[in-house]
Amino acid sequence: MTAPAIEEHVTALASALRGPARVRDRMVREARDGLLDAADALAAEGLPDDEAARLAVRDFGAVEEIAPDFQRELAVAQARRTAGTVALVVPFLVACWTMVGDPGPGTASLVAGLLAVYAGGVAVVTAVLAAAALAATGTVARRLPDPHRLPELVAWTGTTAGAALGVGALAVTVSALLTADWRLAALTGALTLVSHARVAASARACRTCARLAP
Amino acid sequence: MKGDAVRGHLDGLLLAALESGPLHGYAIIAAVQERSGGALELRTGTVYPALNRLERLGLLRSGWQAMGERKRRCYELTDAGRRSLAEERSAWRAFTAAVGAVLDPGPAT
Repeated sequence: MTAPAIEEHVTALASALRGPARVRDRMVREARDGLLDAADALAAEGLPDDEAARLAVRDFGAVEEIAPDFQRELAVAQARRTAGTVALVVPFLVACWTMVGDPGPGTASLVAGLLAVYAGGVAVVTAVLAAAALAATGTVARRLPDPHRLPELVAWTGTTAGAALGVGALAVTVSALLTADWRLAALTGALTLVSHARVAASARACRTCARLAP
Repeated sequence: MKGDAVRGHLDGLLLAALESGPLHGYAIIAAVQERSGGALELRTGTVYPALNRLERLGLLRSGWQAMGERKRRCYELTDAGRRSLAEERSAWRAFTAAVGAVLDPGPAT
């Protein structure tokens, strides 16, 4: 069955949703399949195709009524993605920072060292929070009340981790200029900068999803 | 019964519909409506996010399967899903027994 009413409804639903593209596409495709099946079943009972499609769309629910349920799941999916990135990347980078050589005496070295320690401490706390968020939205969540504010918490945890990595990248870059083994420090700084961009982008997407979810 | 009344029991209804074997989204909706004799009206758009959540919680697993010329995402209960359904049933029986005893106390002795 070709059903303009269904295609129009599904397009409107998809455009109202924000979240990981793969999860969003899967959920929208499944909803479209379900609408087509419902319309087919109604048409098999004798209704004209366009009337069957219209009734299937009515039973599905208006976009503004249904989209919040879809968006809630997308916000959780994005939160899990952001939390996974933070929990994986941050401990690795902090371990790398500890391997960068001592930049020697001097005020710049002292400031860079203090910045790295401060950023490392904040980053480790965000990694622990991210791991807890992953657990709280997975199978453990069966025994927990639905954590409605969790995507928002993960969004700000990711934002903090991104900022800590930015500060860490600066500290490691300064160290690279001062340390004898500057190649390792420069590589770690570049890796930190790339990770900072990735974590910050994921956290930004998470903030958008959390803002739209009920 | 309208969608709002059903919403609080949606998880249990979806798990129960899948007890006898794997089904795709529309077939789950049709099974719930058929088993209720048409008395339960699901807002069908709420079913797909609910299935996604139950899968995330490890109560269902899913995969794409060919259904004639079409492919449909089919769901089935996991062991945890079966345990959860049994718990839902026990809780529902205890609830209806308690409410029934109050609403319909029987002849006074």
